[in-house]
Amino acid sequence: MGSPRLAIARRELGSLRKEKTIVLALAIQLFVAAFSSFLVVGLVSLYDPGAASYQVDVAVAGDEEAVEDLLRAVGTEDGLSGRPYSSTSAAMTAFQERQVDAVLEASTGEDGRIRVAAVAPDTGVETTAVVVRLRDALRELERNERAERSAFLATDPLSLPPAAESSPYFGFTYTVLVPLLLFLPVFISGSLVVDSLTEEVARGTLELLRVAPVSFAAVVDGKLLAAGGLAPVQAVAWMLLLQLNGSTIESVPWLFGMVAGLSAVVVTLGAAVAITSPDRRVAQLLYSIGVLLVFAGTSLLPLSPANTAARLALGTAGVGAKVAVAGLVFVGVVALVGLRFVVDRVDPNELG
Amino acid sequence: MTDLRTRLVAHARTVLRIARWEVSRSAGTLDRRTAVIGLVAVLVAGGIAAGAAGGGVALDRDLYRVGIASDSPYYDAVDQSSTLDPRPVSDPNVELVVSETHISVADTQTGRAAYSAFRDAVQSYNERQMAREENQSAAFPVVVDLQYRERAALVPAGSRVDGGAGGGGGEAGTGDGGGTDAGTGSGTSGDADGAGGTATDGPAASDAAAADDGGVDAPSLGGMASLFGGDTSGSPASISPPFPFASLVLAFAFLVPMNFVIQAYGSSVLNERINRRGELLLVAPISPGDIVAGKTLPYLLGTVAITIAIAAAVGGGVVSVAAVVPIGLLFLASTFVGAMFARSFKELTFVTVTVSVFLTTYTFVPAIFTNVTPIALISPLTLVVRDLAGESIPLGEFLFSVGPILLAAGVLFLLGVGVYREEDMFTQRPVPLKFLDALDSRISRARSVATLSALSIPFVFIAELLAIAVLFVLPVDLTVPMILLAVAVIEELAKSLHVLAAFEKARFSRTLRSSLVLGGLSGLGFFVGEKFTAIAQLAGLQSLTLGQTAFAPSGVGIGDGTGVSALVVLGLFLAPLALHAVTASVTAFGASRGRSAYGVALAGAIAIHLVYNLQVVSALG
Repeated sequence: MGSPRLAIARRELGSLRKEKTIVLALAIQLFVAAFSSFLVVGLVSLYDPGAASYQVDVAVAGDEEAVEDLLRAVGTEDGLSGRPYSSTSAAMTAFQERQVDAVLEASTGEDGRIRVAAVAPDTGVETTAVVVRLRDALRELERNERAERSAFLATDPLSLPPAAESSPYFGFTYTVLVPLLLFLPVFISGSLVVDSLTEEVARGTLELLRVAPVSFAAVVDGKLLAAGGLAPVQAVAWMLLLQLNGSTIESVPWLFGMVAGLSAVVVTLGAAVAITSPDRRVAQLLYSIGVLLVFAGTSLLPLSPANTAARLALGTAGVGAKVAVAGLVFVGVVALVGLRFVVDRVDPNELG
Repeated sequence: MTDLRTRLVAHARTVLRIARWEVSRSAGTLDRRTAVIGLVAVLVAGGIAAGAAGGGVALDRDLYRVGIASDSPYYDAVDQSSTLDPRPVSDPNVELVVSETHISVADTQTGRAAYSAFRDAVQSYNERQMAREENQSAAFPVVVDLQYRERAALVPAGSRVDGGAGGGGGEAGTGDGGGTDAGTGSGTSGDADGAGGTATDGPAASDAAAADDGGVDAPSLGGMASLFGGDTSGSPASISPPFPFASLVLAFAFLVPMNFVIQAYGSSVLNERINRRGELLLVAPISPGDIVAGKTLPYLLGTVAITIAIAAAVGGGVVSVAAVVPIGLLFLASTFVGAMFARSFKELTFVTVTVSVFLTTYTFVPAIFTNVTPIALISPLTLVVRDLAGESIPLGEFLFSVGPILLAAGVLFLLGVGVYREEDMFTQRPVPLKFLDALDSRISRARSVATLSALSIPFVFIAELLAIAVLFVLPVDLTVPMILLAVAVIEELAKSLHVLAAFEKARFSRTLRSSLVLGGLSGLGFFVGEKFTAIAQLAGLQSLTLGQTAFAPSGVGIGDGTGVSALVVLGLFLAPLALHAVTASVTAFGASRGRSAYGVALAGAIAIHLVYNLQVVSALG
């Protein structure tokens, strides 16, 4: 009973090894992960003033009193230093000569508000770095001014706890990188099933089943086993790699269960698509749309897979997340049983 | 003359007929039921995506647990934050406890991250509270008007070659030694056309702001600030920093649909190869070139149509379409070659994914450096960003960006057509061997070796540009040797792989004489092709140290040197030819002795090339 399935699964894995595609697949996943981390490290260091050593010099000009307040606020900000200038035109000249990166001109308006005219360079990446720092400094100024005017406010703003050091990449690792590494292998596995089945149909090799002592269901099972089994193994390997890299990954068994359940759903989808429309062009297109549907649809649920994975890996998941994993595994089993039901009614020679 | 015309018309007819056949056959595989299912799925997926974008899918929902009493003043702030999950104070499984007097944080990374999230939550809660205040001038005592101003394009200090007063201008023969950047000290220089005066010494620029308003067209991609966000006015919290990677959004908008097109295209090509289906077409009196052109045409038209639709949606014009379509052509060309080499659908899937990852990187990475124009120009998406900003693009820059891609696509199609024949289409050979086959199919006599070397230039160019873009972030001291090594490796491979293929196929006798002849020819072809890298100078890539490092050893731009006698110039001009001939002969000799000897010879040739490059760069520097 079990042996023909295992034999077919072994054959599938063997062909992957022979074509060295599995090496390529791993290399691509590693590349995608590295590339997205590279991007995010870049992005985060822009948005987080403490993360980069990039120093922004600001020219401050305008009303004497407002300038003083502004300079004090600028001084509290990391990576930002203010220089007073006597006039706006002198400040603008310094800006054009790149002695400063931004200009702040403060004046007191008629209603007692402080009006700040800010000038930032328009040069893409640098602009973002400058504007983020300016915004933080101006929010500090706003808090100070607001505190002075608290008599006119109906509710006092909550006092803000002091800023503390925290790795800016932390959130990204768990909310983006972990789900990406967990779910990319699942997507590829489903695609493998589509390829494998449509190729059998295209080559007409399923006809051989008439004389072989294997049923079509056993062939499909074998392919699902090979492709679907690969995803959880890869996922766990990625998690161990992250561990080695210094990010603590909690509840790995639950993550394994989650990927296993999800890959059961996705490989079932792949097989179902390949059986209903055995031309590879159509099948791959439908499969991509279907996977999109699965991921987009589940992301609307209160316990979406990406969010659940992040919380499980972080170790902050409650009972709800574990119930969700159990539910996912259950859905996967139901999908596999349902597929079996369909496959038993399909004549492989009618395909194509 | 008329003979040529009738032949051309006949070719066009054949191509069109095959294109029609391809379309009708593809439509035939798609029955009505599948089409309806697909359409419904697309609509549902689109609806969900729109809903998700509108409602905001929180990846970080309830990420951290906070122990807090429900009567704490901070309770509402925690409760309203999606990242934080309020728990009773008694719950031991929390990262953060907020009590009346103090906040206790678990001494872990998670705890510290939770604390930051808590601080952000309090800050945005305060903003919301203040928005409800009666006295708005007390609630928001600071009003900010934010403006974005352009300055002359920035080039990181130290990475600029001294003396290039004209920057990208190039042809202005101001030469070295003049009073250029020295005054400012920060290493800036006018990169703009006609920015003659702006980049000079300090005091003269006192009314630079006014000049700037007058519209000095600094070719920075700064227009992005106005693309996403733009000038804002309001309270400090309302300032949203511009998203710096407009090209990332563009890359996704333009390149993602192409992935669907190449999936279908690759399947169609590989389908011909399964069970010898394409054999009937091959025995028909049609040339393989026509078959391939006909099969490709519908997919190319599809790519163009999608590109036009997306360009219209984002507001791009003809230039945007003209910049993106070559990328689509390269997608198709590399998929075609991949489908010709792949042994199974599975292998094809991985080839397609590799192609799209590599090309996306190629178009995306350089565009990150938007404030360093020559680097950014490597990617055609930069042209799109500039077109969207309404800037004009000089023809030279357009060619620099698009040219290598178009040429590479052409050469790939040529290689693929070479193996579009029975003995390669219907056999199962590993991809590297097929690749050698494809190279060999282009070699009929010794002269073809030179042609192939010349044809490899677009790929050499693309690979070197990618290397420059990737290495650009590192400090100059480190990158110069690394880029020289990368250049040596890339060029030696380009000059020798087809020679190896020819020897492996026993096309030439394995003698010393023939390897010298082939090596010499290969070097000559490469040398001639390399002269086309003069295009790099047009776009001003040479004004960067790195660009000069990569391209100086090829002899480009040496003619600019002043006060050098004509004989020396000629010698310098021909030195690269000698280098290429020597190293190519070394590898050719290795190739004639088999594959392992080739490996050793390749390492030797790379070493020679590297030493030569280092000599030239230090002599010129």
